[in-house]
Amino acid sequence: MSEAATAARSAAVPEGLSPEVTSEAAPQAKILLVDDEPKSLFALQELLSTLGQNLMIAQSGEEALRLALKNDFAVILLDVRMPGIDGFETARLIRSRERSRLTPIIFLTAAADEMGSMFRGYEVGAVDYLQKPVVPEILKSKVAVFVELHRKSERLKESEDKLRRLAAHLISVREEERAHIAREIHDELGQVLTGLKMEVTWLAKRLREKPLVEKTDSMCKLIDTTVQTVRKIATGLRPEMLDDMGLIAAVAWQAKEFQKRTGIRCRAKLPPEVKLDIDVSTTMFRIFQEILTNVARHSRATRVDMELGVNDERVSLEVTDNGVGIADSDLNGKKSLGLLGMHERALLFGGEVKITGTAGHGTRVSVSIPLRQRT
Amino acid sequence: MKVIIADDHPVVRQGLRQMLAVEQDLTVVGEARNGQEVVELSRRVPWEVAVLDYNMPGKNGLELIKELRQRYPGRAVLILSMYPEDRYAVRALKAGAAGYLTKESAPEELVSAIRKVAGGGRYVTPTLGEKLALELEDNRGKPLHETLSDREYQVMWMIASGKTVRQIADELFLSPNTVSTHRTRILRKMNMKSNAELMHYAIAHHLVD
Repeated sequence: MSEAATAARSAAVPEGLSPEVTSEAAPQAKILLVDDEPKSLFALQELLSTLGQNLMIAQSGEEALRLALKNDFAVILLDVRMPGIDGFETARLIRSRERSRLTPIIFLTAAADEMGSMFRGYEVGAVDYLQKPVVPEILKSKVAVFVELHRKSERLKESEDKLRRLAAHLISVREEERAHIAREIHDELGQVLTGLKMEVTWLAKRLREKPLVEKTDSMCKLIDTTVQTVRKIATGLRPEMLDDMGLIAAVAWQAKEFQKRTGIRCRAKLPPEVKLDIDVSTTMFRIFQEILTNVARHSRATRVDMELGVNDERVSLEVTDNGVGIADSDLNGKKSLGLLGMHERALLFGGEVKITGTAGHGTRVSVSIPLRQRT
Repeated sequence: MKVIIADDHPVVRQGLRQMLAVEQDLTVVGEARNGQEVVELSRRVPWEVAVLDYNMPGKNGLELIKELRQRYPGRAVLILSMYPEDRYAVRALKAGAAGYLTKESAPEELVSAIRKVAGGGRYVTPTLGEKLALELEDNRGKPLHETLSDREYQVMWMIASGKTVRQIADELFLSPNTVSTHRTRILRKMNMKSNAELMHYAIAHHLVD
């Protein structure tokens, strides 16, 4: 049996298609032709060869299935009447597989009486129906449309992939940078201030005149407030607890801070402390922060309940508030960049974020991230 | 008393040295810049009190405390840290430190802390002591603010943060009347008479910044 027959003659581009198609860089799209009659297959091949795409042929449903398992086709031309598995059954099986779930299928039917079964064809996933003998121009332009569609979705997939990798890169770069700046600010600036204060104190001890002592006192106070500011800035950039004590302590602190800052009660249920991968910890912590930001900004809640769980396989986080509830339109809206960020962060480690909300009954966010092999 | 000081920052070490030099009964017998140096120094020179920065390069603070305590059970480790005590002090004390001070502490405080831990005692700052006491007290019975409903807690927090009834009503999308009703109930539940009392309580219990 013939495996894959390619007919790659120079393409005569059909009219009405975007000029991008002509760019020589575009890889050939694969088209599958299925017919039990060698003569019909040959005719189809001849007809479509002018499109300049990679034509593959199959003479039975089984063969078509095998090919569909290994290839992504721009379109499949499928003869309805074949011995063995017929066209409908073949289409159903092709469509039932994840890889070819959305592959467009054009049915070819020989006799007029089969047009009655058109509905069956559409049911199993046909996108079009052509009656034999096919009109060459119609067939060609229909196939060309699917080729173009395929190419566009490939390009879309590619750029989606690039964007995702870019986002991942940006997230990790930003995290590193924050950690670095936080450390610099806290350690360098903080220590210098400490040294400075000690010097001022030393000086103060040697002063006898009251106005001078008052001056050094106020200098000390000024240094103290500056130290506090430095600490606040550093912790805001990256809480040092995350690195020193781990995720659980950091989350507990964040929950407390949140209650202190917003007046919204935050109850935390936490597991005993364990050492977790630092990147997973950072991801979980940042997602938790983002959830709290959303609660404070949009929920009008008076209470947040959070639970953190860790087992051998994953770390999970559930946050529920009693606020107004998130609307579906907000979940996917243009403004939900924060939510998108949460998803992207989780995705980076193969995790997921689920958000459910009912108007008036609060919002629930579930995050789950698998733990990498711990050493 | 023989004291070891350890900090990765020269300014801080210098400051400490100057500060302790004035005291007749204290002698700085050695300085270290990181955890490893502390361990080496502790073997080489005789000492009674080690004043350590919590966060030095190399070994982390807790490990260092544990190691020194294990090798020299009779001697005291005092932590002098950049980090606020509410987050780290209890851990350090649990790990075996005899005391925890932040670098904002007044020099006199450090000196008296060294004297105290050298004698085998423990040193906590008054602020931390108060906090620990509050926690004990809170454990005995429910603290008053826990008797409030979630909404009442929020209103209480807003009053304690200095917001007026009008502002609270606007922010929470409630009528001023409702807010006033909440306020009355909060004061009754917490057995208080005024907003000022409420504020004082909230600050003492670290419910507001």
